[in-house]
Amino acid sequence: MKKLVLRLRDWPPSAWIFFAWLVTLSVVPFLIIFGMSFATRTSAGVITWDLTLANYERAFHLVYLKVLAKTFFLSLGATLTCLLIGFPVAYYLARATPEKRQLGLMLLFIPFWTNFILRIYGIVSIFGNHGLLNQLIMRLGLTDTPLEILYTRFGVYLGLVYNYLPFLVVPIFSALEKFDLSLREAAMDLGANRWQTFTRVLLPNVREGVAVGSLFVFIPMMGEYVIPDILGGAKEVFLGRVMVEQFFTMQDWPFGSALASILSIGLVIAVWVQMKFERGKPRGSAGAGVGVSHGVH
Amino acid sequence: MYELRCESLAKSFGSFALQPLDLTIQPGEFFSLLGPSGCGKTTVLRLLGGFEQASSGRIMLGERDITRLPPHKRNIHTVFQRYALFPHLSVFENVAFSLRLKGLARAEIQKRVDETMALTEISALADRRIHQLSGGQAQRVALARALVDQPAVLLLDEPFSALDPSLRIRVREEVRAICKKVGATFILVTHDQEEALQLSDRLAVMKEGRCLQVGTPKAIYEDPTDAFVASFIGPVNEIRGELSEIQPGEWTVASSMGTFRVKKNGLALPRDVSMLLRPEKMRLLRQRSNTQENLLEGEILDLTYLGSRTEYTIRTGNTVFKVSEAEMERQKKRLLNQRDRVFLTWKTEDAILLPQSGQK
Repeated sequence: MKKLVLRLRDWPPSAWIFFAWLVTLSVVPFLIIFGMSFATRTSAGVITWDLTLANYERAFHLVYLKVLAKTFFLSLGATLTCLLIGFPVAYYLARATPEKRQLGLMLLFIPFWTNFILRIYGIVSIFGNHGLLNQLIMRLGLTDTPLEILYTRFGVYLGLVYNYLPFLVVPIFSALEKFDLSLREAAMDLGANRWQTFTRVLLPNVREGVAVGSLFVFIPMMGEYVIPDILGGAKEVFLGRVMVEQFFTMQDWPFGSALASILSIGLVIAVWVQMKFERGKPRGSAGAGVGVSHGVH
Repeated sequence: MYELRCESLAKSFGSFALQPLDLTIQPGEFFSLLGPSGCGKTTVLRLLGGFEQASSGRIMLGERDITRLPPHKRNIHTVFQRYALFPHLSVFENVAFSLRLKGLARAEIQKRVDETMALTEISALADRRIHQLSGGQAQRVALARALVDQPAVLLLDEPFSALDPSLRIRVREEVRAICKKVGATFILVTHDQEEALQLSDRLAVMKEGRCLQVGTPKAIYEDPTDAFVASFIGPVNEIRGELSEIQPGEWTVASSMGTFRVKKNGLALPRDVSMLLRPEKMRLLRQRSNTQENLLEGEILDLTYLGSRTEYTIRTGNTVFKVSEAEMERQKKRLLNQRDRVFLTWKTEDAILLPQSGQK
């Protein structure tokens, strides 16, 4: 950190633009929210700057911890599901011919040219009680009553996976694309079967892409509001929903801010731990500076 | 140790076809597959390594048919062209890779990796990361990784092509020394004839999916049975003419430049033959000599001094000859200059006789 500040003067103009953007649109809003979380809301609904930890105390009540845990595990599950589906897709795309790859990537992103809300309502029309899926299975006589997917936790999970999958595929795809196929052959040559080749050579070499992609989808999932709201209905309350309610329905900005701060700080810590972990691993960066590689790759 | 045998081994994909190949490689032999790109040498290597499936034929390692075995079940390892070292592992772990897969005890792994690293002189690099290695070091790590679990056969896929030319010759010598110590069977794929000559016990010259000739470096160089082999393994001068037997056992080639005595080899030759002469087997004379049977008069067009030898371009009539003369020879004579008239001569037995090519 010291080094970073010391070198401020050497920053190119482009870095300053980025820095200014980051400060005004991320750091400042966060600091406002963070400051707000220590304010007090009087019973009359007025916000006063009597500094207090009461909001945090309230946030750690069991009700909210349950919501946090639920949100966490659902996001985790959805992220893992995205990984399970996304990795093979990314692998296929990275190995496909240029034409097939282009087509595949296009198919993956075409849905994103339509409005986000429309897409979510698209899910409603497929999975709703009178949706396409239920009509189909009822016509086929598989069941008499419609499957309850919408307005359940599973519906939210489905929506999260559907919506975030492409954002996980892309980082993994680019990591896999850079992966040198001869390493796979080398592993097999040295006695590794398919599974060993996957776990001992392929995975360690694309680990960063997997980690980045997972955080890429996990973090916004944690704060997701629209998907749980539309697909989860009133029964399933997630963290994003609670925060929005505090801000706009209850008009309790200090408490909403405390919840938001806890989430943000938690996620920053998670990212920091992940980066720390990455740096500790023997890849790139912290080399002893001995020898220049040439002719190896 | 086992002998490695290709029996009518063939492979075709796209427009390329490897013609049925029969080859027996002796245990402990250093064998090279030499040829220009697209000749099929890499295909043979990939078939042996298990990375390609043969269209037909068999690969036998000893008495075992390994044609259909996947790479990880063959006792054959490869040193890849660009080494394919694992960037996420240290040098030590790269070398230990195959032993860890076999689930050997830690102490055993440590011992065998240490031994192999000592052999390839990379012990000091054990904790390095792959990206910290120089080209020559990476080469030796790749060799150590392939050698550590004592494969029956080691495949080397153009292992020197990624090295600086200045480094190449030295590394080649080192690799040869290591190979001799290990005593496994080595198969080298290369397009560099010098490399093949320097390293091999025997080599096969390939072209367009076909194996043209198999033999020791000396046999390939001095007694090629094919015009392509002759010119690929080193430069040649060609004189075309008609072969005739003037007396029983005495043969001549009559060409537009004169008639020359030749020694007939074992090949069945047609009437129209090519007489091939290596530049370093020809000698230059300042004066006509009556003791020489084969003599051509010409003019020095150009000469290049290369330290240990001098290369001359000499025109006789409409034909241009390349002659290479060792510096020792050159010092015995008065220095030759451009435009000097000289006589070319060669020993009768040094001329290579082949059927004429390019007019089939």
